[in-house]
Amino acid sequence: MTPSLIKARFIDGPSMDSQLRWLSIGLFVLIATLSVVPSLRLLVEALSQVTLSASSPLAEVLRSERTWIALKNSFYTSGLGTLIAVVLGCGFGFVTTLTNIRGRAVWVFCFMLPMMIPPQVTALSWLQLFGPASPILNTFGIAPTLGSPQPMYSAEGIALLLGIQSAPLVYLALRTQLIALPQDLLEAAQLAKASPFRVWVDIIVPLCRSAIVAGAALAFVSSLGNFGIPAMLGIPAGYIVLPTLIYQQMAGFGNDMLSQVASLSMIIALLVLAGMLLQQWLQQRSRYALLGHTAKSISFRLQRWRLPLELLLAVILCFILVAPLFALIVSSLVPALGMPLTLDTLTFSAFHEMISRQGVTKRAFENSVFLAFVSAFVLMVVSLPLGYLLMRLPMRTRAVIASLIEVPYAIPGIVLAIAFILLFAKPLPFIEISLYGTLGIIFLAYLSCFLSVCLKPVLSAMSQLDPVLEEAAQLAGARPLKRLVDIILPLTAPAFFAGGLLVFLISINELTVSALLWSAGNETLGVLIFNLDESGDSVLASAIAVLVVMLVAGLMSLLSLCAPRLPKGVIPWHD
Amino acid sequence: MTMKKTLLICAAALAFPLSVQAQDVLTLYTSQPNKDAQMTVDAFEAANPNIKVEWVRDGTTKLMTKLRAELSSGVVKPDVLLIADSVTMESMVSDGYLEAYLSPNRTKYEDSLYSDKGYYYGTKLITTGIVHHKKAPQSPTDWSDFIKPAYKNQVAMPSPLYSGAALIHLATLTDEKTLGWNYYEQLHTNQVKAQGGNGGVLKAVASGTKPYGVIVDFLAIREAAKGSPIEFVFPKTGVSMVTEPVAIMKGAKNKAAAKRFVDFLLSQEGQQLVLEQGYLPARGDIGVPAGFPKREEIRLMPFDAAKTLENNEANKARFSKIFEG
Amino acid sequence: MARLILENLHKSFNGEAVVKNINLTIEPGEFVALLGPSGCGKSTILRMLAGFEPVSDGQVTHGEICLSSNKHHVATEDRNFGMVFQSYALWPHMSVKDNVGYPLKVQKIKSDERDRRIQEALEIVQLEEYADRLPAQLSGGQRQRVALARSLVTEPDVVLFDEPLANLDRHLRAKMEETFRAFHKRTGATIVYVTHDQSEAMSLADRIAVLNKGELVQWGTPQALYATPKNTWLANFIGRGSVLKVSEIAPQQYVNSTDLHDLIKRYSSEQVFSSVLVRPQDIRFVPADAFSIIVTVDNCIFRGERYDIELTLEDGQKLLTYSDVPMTINSPHHIRLEQAWSLESES
Repeated sequence: MTPSLIKARFIDGPSMDSQLRWLSIGLFVLIATLSVVPSLRLLVEALSQVTLSASSPLAEVLRSERTWIALKNSFYTSGLGTLIAVVLGCGFGFVTTLTNIRGRAVWVFCFMLPMMIPPQVTALSWLQLFGPASPILNTFGIAPTLGSPQPMYSAEGIALLLGIQSAPLVYLALRTQLIALPQDLLEAAQLAKASPFRVWVDIIVPLCRSAIVAGAALAFVSSLGNFGIPAMLGIPAGYIVLPTLIYQQMAGFGNDMLSQVASLSMIIALLVLAGMLLQQWLQQRSRYALLGHTAKSISFRLQRWRLPLELLLAVILCFILVAPLFALIVSSLVPALGMPLTLDTLTFSAFHEMISRQGVTKRAFENSVFLAFVSAFVLMVVSLPLGYLLMRLPMRTRAVIASLIEVPYAIPGIVLAIAFILLFAKPLPFIEISLYGTLGIIFLAYLSCFLSVCLKPVLSAMSQLDPVLEEAAQLAGARPLKRLVDIILPLTAPAFFAGGLLVFLISINELTVSALLWSAGNETLGVLIFNLDESGDSVLASAIAVLVVMLVAGLMSLLSLCAPRLPKGVIPWHD
Repeated sequence: MTMKKTLLICAAALAFPLSVQAQDVLTLYTSQPNKDAQMTVDAFEAANPNIKVEWVRDGTTKLMTKLRAELSSGVVKPDVLLIADSVTMESMVSDGYLEAYLSPNRTKYEDSLYSDKGYYYGTKLITTGIVHHKKAPQSPTDWSDFIKPAYKNQVAMPSPLYSGAALIHLATLTDEKTLGWNYYEQLHTNQVKAQGGNGGVLKAVASGTKPYGVIVDFLAIREAAKGSPIEFVFPKTGVSMVTEPVAIMKGAKNKAAAKRFVDFLLSQEGQQLVLEQGYLPARGDIGVPAGFPKREEIRLMPFDAAKTLENNEANKARFSKIFEG
Repeated sequence: MARLILENLHKSFNGEAVVKNINLTIEPGEFVALLGPSGCGKSTILRMLAGFEPVSDGQVTHGEICLSSNKHHVATEDRNFGMVFQSYALWPHMSVKDNVGYPLKVQKIKSDERDRRIQEALEIVQLEEYADRLPAQLSGGQRQRVALARSLVTEPDVVLFDEPLANLDRHLRAKMEETFRAFHKRTGATIVYVTHDQSEAMSLADRIAVLNKGELVQWGTPQALYATPKNTWLANFIGRGSVLKVSEIAPQQYVNSTDLHDLIKRYSSEQVFSSVLVRPQDIRFVPADAFSIIVTVDNCIFRGERYDIELTLEDGQKLLTYSDVPMTINSPHHIRLEQAWSLESES
């Protein structure tokens, strides 16, 4: 039997069953709290000082030429960055999922790690690698002279780093779809005498378009809100984007700073809404449900292309992982910044100091690991019913809700943090508990920020699910919750794990949200690294960053051990 | 519904441990580096055993953003502020957020170091000067060196658009007759590159990507002492400075402890601590830390906090016009 | 066991009516086929019966219980219906045994009782030895039999079939039809079977509802539909035969040979006309006489047991008949038509 494709059917919800109703109400409250309230609070702040006069903060922001320059630049760098992320993520995805490449688990494992290395480190390592002090270029005597111009200080440099940072987002979103493609699709196409290239263009890419678009949207939104990379590479070039412009407002001494910042964030929010409409439009045209059975997954034989491809992957990984990681390790082993690493200068004092000192290191590790785990877990649990309910909604309503969920992720973390301070600085009404100054507020902010990260792959997987599989369970007498757990969860499990994993990886060294929300005893790893770095203790900061990479690599290996007990395909780096 | 409930319980559980408080608690918001902040707090607690300090540390920009957001929602969290510069303090004064307190210890200080009504007091002098890599071909001695052709595209400086201290530096230099705005225009022509902050400049110079830089004194001097291949220079024309002022919040919950904290920082003991941390103490009769020249050899350029606040927007606009044109 | 009644059933999507005013009374234990070309609304009716779609108007009742009306809707999971899908809808992550046993698990049937009933269901579809396989390891026919076993394991009152043979090859279809017949006999369940294949419907169903463009065209036994179709569309849709234009006559009656020949001879294209259905077996080749009709052989196609012969009348109309021997193309012949059935014109 050749699996055929059917255009997905829309279920326009029949009269709702009570389980569904309660679920909907609960999730409605949750989205309202996590996504809508913070965004609205910012909107209120943006509009707070609006008077008829032309000097209100909002009017000033809208009138300023720099706002529009920053908007244009943001669009350019994020757009180009997304393109790079899609090329990298898809390239890795197709090669490691669909071919008989050797050591596939290792490649995937390594491809997850660049997300863990602070982008500043990657940028700095490249600057050093191709700069006047480059050990490699100096060996060949082709190093540029001291103080020559750096091509990385440019819009394209920013886009390149943004692309590398968000490539794993695209990769994970795509992978869940790729492993669901049955082998007979490929066989059918081969019988039709299609070349592997044609199969890829005509069959695989169209079927994965929804997932690629979802991943690209994540990459775009995450690039839009990124501050660290444009701050590092854009400021020297005098190149502003919206997040750096926002930071400029904060650094000013003005008292209407908050409304200006809020106004700028609303512009980002508008940009996101426009992006979401585009995403909806693209995905609407590519909704195919795969008929409800998967045989073996697709696998191409590479033959003579295998070695060159493996080499290419290795070179790319060298640039995005090995070089920065090496630079990071080197800078953590010297006594002071800029000293060469030799046998004489080699010291573990930074590690020793960070591990033994104060307990702040231990606390930050505990807090971040706890926050990352719990956020990932809670969001996975929430995404299941949320994705399910969203898929039952009419297209337009779904687009609106999905955009609302997207906004907190898109606005720069520091602005989201402002919204949470504005909301939670006072004790909560009625229950008189103050979340402010506790891990609780960071936790809530993470949920708000990363909900869309977790939801995206889940929605994309659910849209590809043949609806008759659920209908069959309905006829078997299973109520919505039971159907969710017994049928939909196992069939979309790789997407859930991908979503949870993304949230974990992003939040483990998250900085910008927690930067404003942390308090003594509630440090996160991101805050710890940043504070050390900013205080000039960059050697200590590097030591912590190395420990974080080791921790994440360790946790990922632990997950591999659990893989045999989990559904097929949920651990990306385990076959 | 159960989801919401679980969340609340979860949140409550997370909030619980900190709702237990003992002793007299003083809340401090500071932009001092972690290690220094810890030292300051430890020393103060040792001197005042019945007061426990809870402190929040962040860069001045982020700290002020956090504080502004809190104030905007009608809550005063900190009792005392200890932040980088007096211009920020001036803006807090003009918005009516600070409490005046005349510390008895102020008599030992120059008038320019504290507000005459007692809203804030400078605690140390953090000057901005010149840093260069040890292998750099030139040895800069003054600000004017950076506009020479030999330095073209080789200098890094913190951007006034992102750092309050750099904005003060800009205000000071543009007010200096021999430099002025003309100097900044020439810096741009000479392709001086602005960085996000002092940390960025330090990295650029130490790693050799830019052999020269504009930077605050203690960062460069401390790192050089640890063995970093860089050297700090106090320029001939003079250095700009920020004073790391301390102030009490209007509406502070624990005003008594806050006053004790201000007095402590201004005391002989407090100033000795500043010296130990490697900063130039604000009080003239305390020595200078290792790596610094004699106090008389450091020329401080004049600077007016209130006027700087007033010109703030115009200065930023003019700078961004030159550098982001 | 209870009657399944569809009353004035109506369904529209975005204002466009796809099912219009359907009335059917299905007796307990009856095997009913919903037959029609694609897009005729038969699948929508099935989905309304299953409870996947709410009705726009009218109602569905089962015995005393109202399942669906525009005020009331019993959820699918509360209907105790079984269903066999065109794409089988087997859950790929569950073994054959788990697929079949899932409805029992949902009903919280104890595991030994459950195992017994799974075993029984698999026996009926002859898949006992495949219990531990995954659906991906089965052939198309086997998958469909698993789906069948799953639909019968809870002993449902009504089992719905949605084009269950559409994805299978011809050889397998005949075998599966036999399985379905045995299944019906053994369970005695009421069956509603959707198909676009008239021979499938004719060979399986007790009664057939023929649908076109959302409306019920005719509702009756296969024999009645074959012998006395309502209109020209249905005559063309069911069985083989030829629709002839003849001089005007009242619809829905048999026309004997003499009258028929007369009607044919009196027909001319300018007049008001009627249509009659002539089945191939009602045409005889005869020696030329005053009464006979002259035809020319247009085509002769070998069908194994006999030949299909296509004939042209003098006025150009076509006729289909059978012959045991081949006939020369373009050769003239004389025929007699034994009888015909007069039809309503298509609305």
